[in-house]
Amino acid sequence: MSFVSFSFFLKRISKNKFEIILILPLALFVFGFTIGPIIQAIMMSFEGTFGGNFPTLASYSYIVHHHYFKAALFNTIFITGVGLTLELIFGMILALILSEKFFGRGIFRAVMLLPLGIPTIVSASNMAFIFSTQGFLNELLYRIGLIEVPIDWRVGTIKPLMTIVVADMWKVTPLVMLILLAGLESIDKQLYEAAKVDGAGRWHRFRHITLPLLKPYITMALVIRGIDAFRIFELPLVMAGRHVPVMSSYAYFEYIERNNPYTSAAGATILLIMIIIAISVYLKAVGTEEVTR
Amino acid sequence: MKKYKIFLTLLVIFFGILVISPVYFMVKISISQPQDIFTQHPTFLIHNTTAKWWRWIFSTKEVWAPFIKSLEVATLTALFSLAIAVPGSYAISRLPLKVRYPLVLGLFFTRMFPEVGIALPISVNFIKWGLLDSVLGLVIAHMIRILPLVTWILVGTFETVPKVLEEASSIDGCSRLGTLRRIVIPLAAPGIAVGTIFAWLGSWEEFTYAVYLTLAKRTLPLQVFYYINRGNWFLTATYATLTAIPVVIITYAMQKYLRAGYMAGAVKG
Repeated sequence: MSFVSFSFFLKRISKNKFEIILILPLALFVFGFTIGPIIQAIMMSFEGTFGGNFPTLASYSYIVHHHYFKAALFNTIFITGVGLTLELIFGMILALILSEKFFGRGIFRAVMLLPLGIPTIVSASNMAFIFSTQGFLNELLYRIGLIEVPIDWRVGTIKPLMTIVVADMWKVTPLVMLILLAGLESIDKQLYEAAKVDGAGRWHRFRHITLPLLKPYITMALVIRGIDAFRIFELPLVMAGRHVPVMSSYAYFEYIERNNPYTSAAGATILLIMIIIAISVYLKAVGTEEVTR
Repeated sequence: MKKYKIFLTLLVIFFGILVISPVYFMVKISISQPQDIFTQHPTFLIHNTTAKWWRWIFSTKEVWAPFIKSLEVATLTALFSLAIAVPGSYAISRLPLKVRYPLVLGLFFTRMFPEVGIALPISVNFIKWGLLDSVLGLVIAHMIRILPLVTWILVGTFETVPKVLEEASSIDGCSRLGTLRRIVIPLAAPGIAVGTIFAWLGSWEEFTYAVYLTLAKRTLPLQVFYYINRGNWFLTATYATLTAIPVVIITYAMQKYLRAGYMAGAVKG
């Protein structure tokens, strides 16, 4: 029985020999430099300099008692939650604006795409200029008379997090906008005409036609953006450095500055688990068939 | 209706200013005298311009080493990615749907892994292999994030090349490799070009792997990071502008390819 299936397997291989040779370099690279390192990182997280033989939880028990790690965990979840919500709202507003016909629409679309052409590290330094104590935001608030004394955006818990959320929004809301715009363009205009005839107002048409039909696109935007928001790295690193750790920058500091690859690996593993949990919970809630179209 | 139009116009202007101003301030700082920036009240308009920051990075020749490293790494990453992804994605596109679909989805899900989790063991291994600070090491690291993206684009391209053409060519006596070279690749050339350019861009602006794998020989994005940590706004802004210029130009030139499917892999927050 097993011999039969084995010879069948061999036959399949010889039939597809050409394809397999072509695919081999790609497969080797992905296994050697992506899957391999991930497994290595997970293994490393169970080793440790704190004594103990291979499967040890020493690194984990060290980091979960580290107040710095707890801050990173909170910050990552805050940035993801607040950031995704705002990016979705603003992405929707921009997509709705662009689905209207108005003078200068082409220029407006081009301007909105500008952040896609700015490397993340560059947008991070730009935002650092704006949110500095002597930066342009404080000057603007001062000139319109909202503040007398410059605000220090780096102190407190929520203030520096909000500056990072704003920076992330600036960079990725155009992407959300493009995804939602593709969705809006796929909706049959006759539906709106019919609803108009039936006396539905602007809000009702949005609530009962646009939103339900956009759901797969919203899911797509949320999943793609959600993964990236959990992994956010450059923006908090440049804008707040050690003051505001996130999961990625926590792993970075543990390795680069504190020279401990084991705790860094534990941090990265926890981040991976967070991403997997978030996605599976979300997909369970909305159903998978919407992403896999 | 009139009110609605005014509201829309105001909204458009508001968002336009919001999007442009960070880039405007970057360029402004790179051509400003310190007295306009390091004061209690920085100016919004450009008053005292100077080319001294730009002149400084070029006259000290400091810019060339990072510029050339970035250029080398990006170009090699694009070429190597192509060499692996073109045959690989062609083969994937000719597999039965039942196999192809999980493969492509699996490639997409490698993007789910936190980069700091991949960069850490890569960095530990590269120290052992002597690949730290080297061009080759960074190229390999960049391919980790770029290869799946290029494959994703190319599978979609090869799927559009009709199988009938290949059958015709094989009946005429062409070998499979010959068919691939003479028929399939020329037909897929536009998609391959788009994939190459995205690969080049993705490597040019990459930061995470670069910061894990670099000690002294910095790339342009690391140069931005280096100067912002030293508190030198002017050189930060100059290097930031320099890094962004090719990305902005290419992004606008490729505007019509900025589709959700491609961008899913290309943009990272």
